[in-house]
Amino acid sequence: MHGQSVLHTIDAISTWFGKAAAWLIIALMSVVCIEVIKRYLLNAPTAWIFDFDNMLYGTLFMLCGAYTLAQNAHVRGDFLYSSMRPRTQAGLDLVLYIVFFVPGIAALIYSGYVFAMESWSIGEHSTVTAEGPPVYQFKAMIPVAGVLVMLQGFAEIVRCVVCLRTGEWPSRLHDVAEIDVVEEQLAHSEYVDEEARKIAIERAKEIDEVARQRGMGGDLNT
Amino acid sequence: MSDPALGLTMLCLIVVVIMMGFPTAFTLMGLGMFFGYIAFYQPHQFFTDNKVFDLMVQRAYGAMTNDVLISIPLFVLMGYVMERGALVDKMFYSIQLAFRRVPASLAVATLIVCTFWGIASGLVGAVVVLMGVIAFNPMLRAGYDVKLASGVITAGGTLGILIPPSVMIIVYAAVAGQSVVKLYAAAMFPGFFLSFLYLIYIIGWAMINPKIAPTLPEALTRVPVPDWMRSFTAAYSRNVFVSLMSALLSPSRARAIKAATGPLGYPRLLGNLCIALVPTFLIVGTLAVTWWYVVIHQQATVEATVTGVQQLGIQLGPRAATLAEQGPPEGFYLWFGIACAFGAFILGRSFWRMDADRFEVLKLLTSSVMPLGILTVVVLAVILFGITTATESAGVGAAGAFLLAFQARTLDWKRTKEAVFLTAKTTAMVCWLFVGSALFSGVFAILGGQALVEQWVLSLNMTPVQFMILSQAIIFVLGWPLEWTEIIVIFVPIFLPLLKHFNIDPILWGTLVFVNLQAAFLSPPVAMSAFYLKGVSPPHVTLNQIFNGMMPYMLVIIICMVIMYLWPGMTLWLPNYLYGI
Repeated sequence: MHGQSVLHTIDAISTWFGKAAAWLIIALMSVVCIEVIKRYLLNAPTAWIFDFDNMLYGTLFMLCGAYTLAQNAHVRGDFLYSSMRPRTQAGLDLVLYIVFFVPGIAALIYSGYVFAMESWSIGEHSTVTAEGPPVYQFKAMIPVAGVLVMLQGFAEIVRCVVCLRTGEWPSRLHDVAEIDVVEEQLAHSEYVDEEARKIAIERAKEIDEVARQRGMGGDLNT
Repeated sequence: MSDPALGLTMLCLIVVVIMMGFPTAFTLMGLGMFFGYIAFYQPHQFFTDNKVFDLMVQRAYGAMTNDVLISIPLFVLMGYVMERGALVDKMFYSIQLAFRRVPASLAVATLIVCTFWGIASGLVGAVVVLMGVIAFNPMLRAGYDVKLASGVITAGGTLGILIPPSVMIIVYAAVAGQSVVKLYAAAMFPGFFLSFLYLIYIIGWAMINPKIAPTLPEALTRVPVPDWMRSFTAAYSRNVFVSLMSALLSPSRARAIKAATGPLGYPRLLGNLCIALVPTFLIVGTLAVTWWYVVIHQQATVEATVTGVQQLGIQLGPRAATLAEQGPPEGFYLWFGIACAFGAFILGRSFWRMDADRFEVLKLLTSSVMPLGILTVVVLAVILFGITTATESAGVGAAGAFLLAFQARTLDWKRTKEAVFLTAKTTAMVCWLFVGSALFSGVFAILGGQALVEQWVLSLNMTPVQFMILSQAIIFVLGWPLEWTEIIVIFVPIFLPLLKHFNIDPILWGTLVFVNLQAAFLSPPVAMSAFYLKGVSPPHVTLNQIFNGMMPYMLVIIICMVIMYLWPGMTLWLPNYLYGI
């Protein structure tokens, strides 16, 4: 289907940026560790490290916003939501994306652009320490993240429309989920019997889904 | 409509809209934008010049430069790496062997594994599913009461969000403007105390009514002692420690033993001796660190503050020394002596009784529990003693988790990638929520909604106890449909300004909220952990049995909260001792 490939292309763009930014966490970890060694063992602290840490962290989470949205991983109050039919869900989501999502993200893009431009034009540096590092490139992350999230939001709106027409949610790209740890732990376990293990690994995803719906969608209430 | 009325409308709307299931971060953002636009509206202005757009960007930038939230990705990464690196089933097996003579040993082992796991990670679902597979079926097969077995897994599984280092505490610290380290220190005792209360409850119940937890059959409690160990102890002495020592002096008999894994040379004997000495290292190490912190470290800092040159920017005038800096408290030497004597007694007893079985159990424990244990103790100690900041400890902890996982050869490229991507998603989820709520609460305050709520609560003329009970009850009810992220980020800030009026310590209140949320997550019929457990349990276990099993633990939590309130010292002593009041 044509719409499906457009959706997956946008998902792939968000995911690519998100995964690229995700590696900043390794950089952040290394920078913090090196600084700990320098400060506490060598007694040679670095002045700009505070700003640098913050930039790594800020860039990380801003750029991952679209990726998280593409994976439907932003926390939802899904107590009632998850027990609704897909069409009802899509209808609600469609309205709320247009009413709530678009204005906020538009502000990030528009005002964020002005905010970053002003900083860029004066070549702003951080004032946390004397002669702090430049921050204009960091502030530019706000409109960049805004554009990415808006693009992904567009994909989500299309998803809602598709779901309203077909009654089924279009698929998402496969990605690692928290419940996967069950499989990894059990795959190598030595003290669990084979059968229970296989069943749990196979059903982990399903169990996760049913638990999130508090049993309302499934046939667990027996 | 007046501005405060708009604010209240906003508060009511947020509850309704969150229940509609739209991503909460964007719900908050949208409501903030909408009401903020009205609040800042000026008739002659072009609509894009409205200040709410600038507020949005400022708040986003505020979250990007928040120096408390920065430790979230690091702690989250540490948790994900540890949960992929540690082997839960090995841990469960060895702890169960270690406690094989205790009543309800399987339940006790489950609880201990959950507590340890809680230190590593804060995921409720995965823990419950894992423990459901690893521990639930063995417990049912051994004839344990279904209620006991299901209760311990669901209650243990939710401990993870309470026991530090937990992300919930960082988020609360960022919301309440409290120090992360102080909150960690405060949550330390209540977290372990709650787990300890669970333990008392399980053992007590099993002792009163042994039918609910029959003793395990011999086959399940037999320690797998390798053959070389049997011939080794036969050649020297029944006591492994004595045998090891004498084998080091006269290795000829040890060399004669044919072990399946190679000859018994000096390296292996020394390796085994080290394992036999592990309890000694642990006890001596703990005592030495305590001594160093209380007696030696403090003298150094006191001298430094006296003789150091007064720097610019430091608050002039004498700074009140923290309790820890005032030197060893009265009676410290006596208690330290008692602790030393007790430690020596325990060690002597363990060496005296170290036969082949016990040695094997010790070996298993050392290989499965110790790495995780040492890492968490080091991370917590580094944070609590104020040696580094929370961010730095988190960074070191994450690196340590990587090292441990590499050393245990459980981490490959695929798992590293997964841990990194999961960290990114969780961080983005929490921090975007923070962006949204910052805008929301800003607009709420501008409209005067906050002031209206405050006036209303103050007009009720409540006593501090009444206010405490009311606030905790509201949070408990909110905990049914909502996740902790939403409660801490949206609803906790409404109560925070009122605490000062009632003279309630925000740290004590926050810790009570953390414990309270445990109860909310265990309350039927909305508790998610029950559904996770139901998913992996055999068909004859019903959801109602699981719910019934959880009820007593809710009572234990409420008892814990009452004790915490009546005796605030349990929560506040450690932060006050370490960092001053």
